[in-house]
Amino acid sequence: MATTVGSADEDGDGGRAGTDALGRGDEDGGRAGVRAAGSRAGAAAHRRRRRQTVVAYLFLTPSLLFFAIFLFLPLLFAVLLSLSRWAGFDLADIRPVGTENFAALFARGSSFLTPVLSNTLLYALGTVVLALTGAVLVAHCITNLRFQGLWRTLYFLPIVTTVVAVGNVWKYMYEPGGLVNGVLNALGLRSVAFLQDPATALPSIVVVQAWASLGSAILVLTAGLKAIPRSYYEAAELDGAGQFTVFTRITLPLLRPSLLFVCVTQFITGLQSFALITVMTGEGGPGDATSVAALEMYQRAFKYGDWGSASAAALVLFVLILVITLVQLWLFRRKGEDA
Amino acid sequence: MRRRRVLAGLAGAAVTAAGCGAPGRSGSGRPGDPVVLTLLSHYATEPLESALQRAVDAWNAGHDRVHVRTTAVRFQDLLTTLMVRQAAGQGADIIHPYSLWAGQLAQAGVVRPAPPEDAARIDRGFARAAVRAASVRGRIIGYPTEVQSYALYYNKRLLRAAGVDGPPRTWRELEETAYRTARRDRHGNTLVQGFGLSRTDDATVVNQTLALLASRGGSFLQADGSRSALGSPAGRAVFALERRLIDRGASDPGIDLMKAFPAGRVAMAVSGGWWTGSLKQTMGRDYRDVAVAPVPGPAPGNRGTVTTGFLLGVNAKSRYPREAWEFLRWLNDEVVPAGPRAGRAAAVRATRMSVLQMSVGTMTGRTRDMRGLLAAGGDPNLGPFVDALDYATPEPNGPRAQKAKALLRKNIEQMWTGRLSPDDAVRKAVHQVDQELSR
Repeated sequence: MATTVGSADEDGDGGRAGTDALGRGDEDGGRAGVRAAGSRAGAAAHRRRRRQTVVAYLFLTPSLLFFAIFLFLPLLFAVLLSLSRWAGFDLADIRPVGTENFAALFARGSSFLTPVLSNTLLYALGTVVLALTGAVLVAHCITNLRFQGLWRTLYFLPIVTTVVAVGNVWKYMYEPGGLVNGVLNALGLRSVAFLQDPATALPSIVVVQAWASLGSAILVLTAGLKAIPRSYYEAAELDGAGQFTVFTRITLPLLRPSLLFVCVTQFITGLQSFALITVMTGEGGPGDATSVAALEMYQRAFKYGDWGSASAAALVLFVLILVITLVQLWLFRRKGEDA
Repeated sequence: MRRRRVLAGLAGAAVTAAGCGAPGRSGSGRPGDPVVLTLLSHYATEPLESALQRAVDAWNAGHDRVHVRTTAVRFQDLLTTLMVRQAAGQGADIIHPYSLWAGQLAQAGVVRPAPPEDAARIDRGFARAAVRAASVRGRIIGYPTEVQSYALYYNKRLLRAAGVDGPPRTWRELEETAYRTARRDRHGNTLVQGFGLSRTDDATVVNQTLALLASRGGSFLQADGSRSALGSPAGRAVFALERRLIDRGASDPGIDLMKAFPAGRVAMAVSGGWWTGSLKQTMGRDYRDVAVAPVPGPAPGNRGTVTTGFLLGVNAKSRYPREAWEFLRWLNDEVVPAGPRAGRAAAVRATRMSVLQMSVGTMTGRTRDMRGLLAAGGDPNLGPFVDALDYATPEPNGPRAQKAKALLRKNIEQMWTGRLSPDDAVRKAVHQVDQELSR
């Protein structure tokens, strides 16, 4: 009986079973039997569910372990280091210093806020604006061309080329006697010290980063363009809408999910990247004109043995990326796009 | 204390869980088995890799009880490798760091002072600048191996073409020669730089400036290393000199000096002795146009330059420090006949490391060995570098030396590009470096 009531309780109708037991005893036997059979079935189902849950967790264990070891533990370690001082050699030498590392990052005279963070934002923003604009235009053109696969492949090539190769080729092109300056000279203009002048160094690298990331953006946007039903364009044509109107009133609004994806991923990539900068300007020079947060973190940790401030900088960058991503999602949602 | 232990425990758990926590091992540990010492260096390219391996093979052939195994990484990866392996308990028994990192490594407990017997040998056998570069707070921590002093490289052909007979001996002559040899095309592109300023990395940007600074009697840091000494008249004069050379078209830091000089497009440049070997290989027959002179001072006879280098030390966590120091003594202190590889140097006696360094076109801080090997057929261009060991100043190597150097590089580059005036760059560098050293 206890089992029956207990099982009924589990099903949420224990109160009703009690009333039945007090008022109509003759029917109790049959009903109790039915209930007992039902509760046995329920218990079996419950056991099955539990077994399934255990099996599901067993299947999930490798992934969970992977995330625990390569994501959660390093994150925890980074938080720990951001509140400590450590030279990177001996784990027993980690000394807690509270929020000192964060205070030092934003102290007066520190280069982290400007130019490092400001360079990072300009680099990411410049890359996103250039890559997105270029990708929208190119993707739009590609969808109206023959041999679309060929064009997509051509534009995708920089993605499968290593950053070192891309950076070095562009570096030679930017050099005083390089291709770009050769063209300028042929046009009667003076040479520009693209990577040597602090005013032009960062924009020059932004152009390369945007060029290198154009391929993936085009791939996503062409898929987005193909998903727009033809009927909308036909209706617009019947209404006499021009090319520009069709592009701004139909193509762009319906492309918003793809644009959101490209925008968010490119921005995150831009905020985190430093490989191209290392290849093209070495240590963030001239001066610190091309110094960005990820490069600064790397140098603080592996070059200066200052893991505490490097981890603090990493967490600041993490928060920055989170905030920027949330702002982008909010902006797109306001326009009616579900992320 | 308990908090620190908890932190270390947590950190250890994180690293161990990540699979990096296995303890380092040297040899099997079974009785009778030889001890295997590991040696981590940046000699990962030829001819350095083979030269070191030959010496290690010679040791292994003659010593059954202690064997040495070398691991080489690129110089750019050396500090990172050292750091990661040490944190994971996989540190090499013998390490070969850049002397700039000596303070950082000593503070982190990676290296300890050399045993008194070895310290005495090092103190006796090496030039003062080399000993100081391998010391932290007056205590010697390893054998100075490769020593780099800085001198003036010049292209005799370019100087002759500009009507200049010999290398400059004063700053005034240096400037005049630089302006006379520099050439540009009608678009303003540099064809020949009179005086090349390298922008390759911290080492080249800063060391060429510190060499000029030392030639004027100045220094980067005060004697105790606690504050910057760059704000001196000498510091401002060096910054002003470099700015003038750029403004008047004799220097173009935008051009890669390491490529332009071998291509015969730079008349003069200040660089380390290691460059001779590299230039010889790159320039082939044109190397005969290259000559070396001391860094010019403000007046004839004023001498001063900077040295840097590498040292071989024993890891504080090594299980076999005695054996490691024994190997280092054998390599760096035992004098042997120079051998047939050094050509006519058969009659010369020098340490194994001196012979090794000379065979690859560089040098140790043993002035006597170097002079003997040079006289027996070495590259005469190395002569001024050996002479410089007598009067050179080692670059600072305190715990924050690398960061201080990076700060100085940034300010020098900002001055070169016109973002800061020479005086402002000096002021800013002094402020930032002092702030960093006070941490």
